Amino acid sequence: MKKLSLLLFLATWLAVPGGAQPSYSGPVPPPPTDVRPDALRRAYLGRVAETLDWYQSAATPGQPLTREQLLVKLVRRQDAAQVSQRVLELLSGPQSGDMFWMFPWTAVAYLGRDQLTPEARAALRDAWRTYFPMRGDTENHWAMYYTTLYLMAELYPDEPGTTWFTGKSSAENLAEAKAYLIHWLDLATTVGQGEFNPTHYIGEYAIPMLYLAAWAQDPAMRQRGRMQLDWLLADLAANTLHGVLRGPNARTDDTSAIERWNALASYFSWTMFGNTPPPANYGGWGVYFALAAEHYQLPEVIRRIAVDRDHDILQRDRKRSRRRWRYSDVELAPIYKTNYLRRDYAVGSYQGGLADPIQTHVWDVTWAVPDPRGVHNTIFSVHPLSSSQVLQTYFTELPDAMISGLSSQGKPSYDVPDKILGCSPYEQVCQDCDTVIALYAIPAGTRFPHINGYFSRDLRQVTEDPSGWIFAQGGNTYLAYRPLAGYEWQHLLGYRQLTAAGGGYRWERVDHGAQGDRLLYSPHRHNGTIVQAASAAEFASFAAFRAAINALPLEFALDPVPTVKLTTLRGRQIVATYGQPPVVDGVPVDYSRWKLFEGPHLNAEVGSRRLTLTHGRLTRVLDFNTLTVTDQVAP
Amino acid sequence: MNRFPRLLALLPLLVLPAFAAGAATPAHDLYLFGTLNSRGRVAGSRDTALNGLFRRAADGSFAHCGVNYPAMLAGSFDPRDVRVGYVAALSGVLSTTDGGQTWRIATGWDVTEPKGVCVDPSAPDTVYAALPDGVLVSADRGRTWARREHGLPARGKYTQVVTVDRTRAGRVLAGCETGIYLTEDGARSWRVVQPTRETVNDLQQSPHDPQLWLAATQSAGALVSRDGGRTWQALPGVPSARALYNVAFDPARPARIALASWTYGLLTSEDGGATWTERNAGLPASHQVWRTAIDPDDGRLYAAVESEALYLSGDFGRTWQNAGLPGSRIQSFAFVPKAQP
Repeated sequence: MKKLSLLLFLATWLAVPGGAQPSYSGPVPPPPTDVRPDALRRAYLGRVAETLDWYQSAATPGQPLTREQLLVKLVRRQDAAQVSQRVLELLSGPQSGDMFWMFPWTAVAYLGRDQLTPEARAALRDAWRTYFPMRGDTENHWAMYYTTLYLMAELYPDEPGTTWFTGKSSAENLAEAKAYLIHWLDLATTVGQGEFNPTHYIGEYAIPMLYLAAWAQDPAMRQRGRMQLDWLLADLAANTLHGVLRGPNARTDDTSAIERWNALASYFSWTMFGNTPPPANYGGWGVYFALAAEHYQLPEVIRRIAVDRDHDILQRDRKRSRRRWRYSDVELAPIYKTNYLRRDYAVGSYQGGLADPIQTHVWDVTWAVPDPRGVHNTIFSVHPLSSSQVLQTYFTELPDAMISGLSSQGKPSYDVPDKILGCSPYEQVCQDCDTVIALYAIPAGTRFPHINGYFSRDLRQVTEDPSGWIFAQGGNTYLAYRPLAGYEWQHLLGYRQLTAAGGGYRWERVDHGAQGDRLLYSPHRHNGTIVQAASAAEFASFAAFRAAINALPLEFALDPVPTVKLTTLRGRQIVATYGQPPVVDGVPVDYSRWKLFEGPHLNAEVGSRRLTLTHGRLTRVLDFNTLTVTDQVAP
Repeated sequence: MNRFPRLLALLPLLVLPAFAAGAATPAHDLYLFGTLNSRGRVAGSRDTALNGLFRRAADGSFAHCGVNYPAMLAGSFDPRDVRVGYVAALSGVLSTTDGGQTWRIATGWDVTEPKGVCVDPSAPDTVYAALPDGVLVSADRGRTWARREHGLPARGKYTQVVTVDRTRAGRVLAGCETGIYLTEDGARSWRVVQPTRETVNDLQQSPHDPQLWLAATQSAGALVSRDGGRTWQALPGVPSARALYNVAFDPARPARIALASWTYGLLTSEDGGATWTERNAGLPASHQVWRTAIDPDDGRLYAAVESEALYLSGDFGRTWQNAGLPGSRIQSFAFVPKAQP
């Protein structure tokens, strides 16, 4: 298993400088008021410069430059001799890092091609012969690997296989990399992105696409990079609540699942849209985007999609699972996402089941807060699945080492009963606007046959009503949470990383006591959760909200399978039965008819390779069939 | 960097080939494929040790060969010239023509994470690779490859191992998610000869009787075939609740067989598989044995204990000694005939 939580990776890989980031430690950035194009561009480049400044200012006199610091010097065309010397030093010993090695050194190669000394350039070029990075086994690995192999093969054309670690000539490397990238783009633009809406791994796609857009010599590949970056950022824009990525994620981690802002995605929201603070250290990888960010111009239509929450947005999208090797009749399972965004809160889900085996987040309600830093502004439930067979479905490894290895590989929660991260084949989710029904039918003998409901320390007015509903308030959002089976409260323990002898990670659980988050532990295999959300402004009082919920018709049963018949606050009647498509107002939900994107702002047909972005009078069409970008402004 | 030795005879060179044992000077080199800093390693990790291919030195220690590549799983060599070799690695099938000094990723982007590779000893230009989504064949020493999956199921063709029958070119057994598959025409067509519910992890042909094959499986225990792989039966006395990872014949003593298991540790039989004994005393308490092998020269038994070390027994598992490689994960063993002076 070769996956890595980005933050944990950064902790070991990057020499992160100290010192305060003005945009992180200061007040929340105000929304841009001057939205003229030149002002927006200045603000964007200002944020980019802030990122570069911070890395540069952290250099300690007399101490060697980190790789990130020398990159900033190359961007700013400073001290080429010193940088060249440092390149020689860094490349003088054994190398490691695989594709995480490849893309920083690709940036050095391109930024330094007219600055580095011949010796430094020669050392860098030779490292691509002597060091053999692994290609990895996930889409984000491959995006980094093949983008950088492509760019390096373009930079050093007509060279024989003896000069490359692959043993293949420049032309062979170029052709293979190009073929893969086109294949991957084809998948993403026809049946949906795998590793969809990742909280951290967005960097592992956005950075390679930026490099392609900035440095590819082939105009078609340059165009593909630019268009795919538009696509990724449009998808981010449509899934953020005031800059915070929320809703389901193919991959996230234990921290970002509950402190929704605390993710690399927030760096991209800050840089691109200016509507949330960047995470600490600019997400760790911010510098790698910043160093080429001047080559990208955010389309205005995407910015508007990101910042406009004046109107409710209902978006339905299609994505795809990670590739399945075993125990499945399908290779790429479709993922059907529902995304409902309002000014005060957002509700997001996919239909449940398996998307990715280890770090998936399936559904949540996330409420808006003035300053998201440190706030656990979300509520959801999960079945804490731990399954060797599920791991084998997605990973090509022998069974016994996988579960035990995950903790030491930086995934501390995979095999703990109180985990709140992950998807399950025994969870089925139905969402209609701001109502979510999650049903669970866990077979006997399943490890951890219970449900964990996540209750944030930042909820207010948490009230266990005699009706069985649990009411609460988060920000300006009223929440009603209905567990369908008995439960008890537990403290949700955190994780503290310890030094591990012999490599890998070790963890200690931390009890934050009554001031910490809570877990609604429900030890019943047939189970369910209903959540309804509403803006506080829509009710005269919290009591009125409670009364409204209690007045709604609700019937449910847990056997033989969980089933719920509910009328929502919006007056919609939902019938959800485990194992069957949900029925809304008498009409079964037909997922087969879902488009790649469908909503007020993003629209695409399955198989089309064509995404239409719309906001107000602005329209942009990204057409990968013709590699054209078309902008329109309605009169 | 080391070179693979030249081969002197056209003999099968896959894992544990049949050679006489007991010579004072080992007739074989032992190569290991593995990772030394396996604990917690993920893509992007900083490597603190050399990984990939190791060769046993005269003093019994192991020296790293060639590139530092942490995910080499298994190898197979051309019997005409063992400088020509193929390795199943995370990035695809790697090939070398200079004894591992330089490598080429012989496959393209559409091949990932092969689990096994096997040269046909009777037609050594032909190489088979076990893929997580099927079977790949090269007829030109790894220069070009083609999928050969007719007869394999559309789904359920995860393939952990391919083993060529040393007595007949183009006769190959594949261990897949859904069973053992047999081809007798160079993978142009396959047929299932033994369905299984989960993956078949290893297939080995007896060095003494080419009709005798053993399979180690994930949930069907050990299986035996006495008709060249056409029919299979469960091997009595071998537990089947948890996975068995590989099986090793003793090339010198036909009655001796070993099985590796994470759960059961090291299982041995000294009566041709009729009875089995756990030989875990002296191994680390976890006795999570990832791989086992039997030295064709002296019958010594190896047990690679996950993230612990390599262990060696001179009395077929009754006692063990630590043979080094602390913290390692040994993915496979390959005994290769030494070059003659």
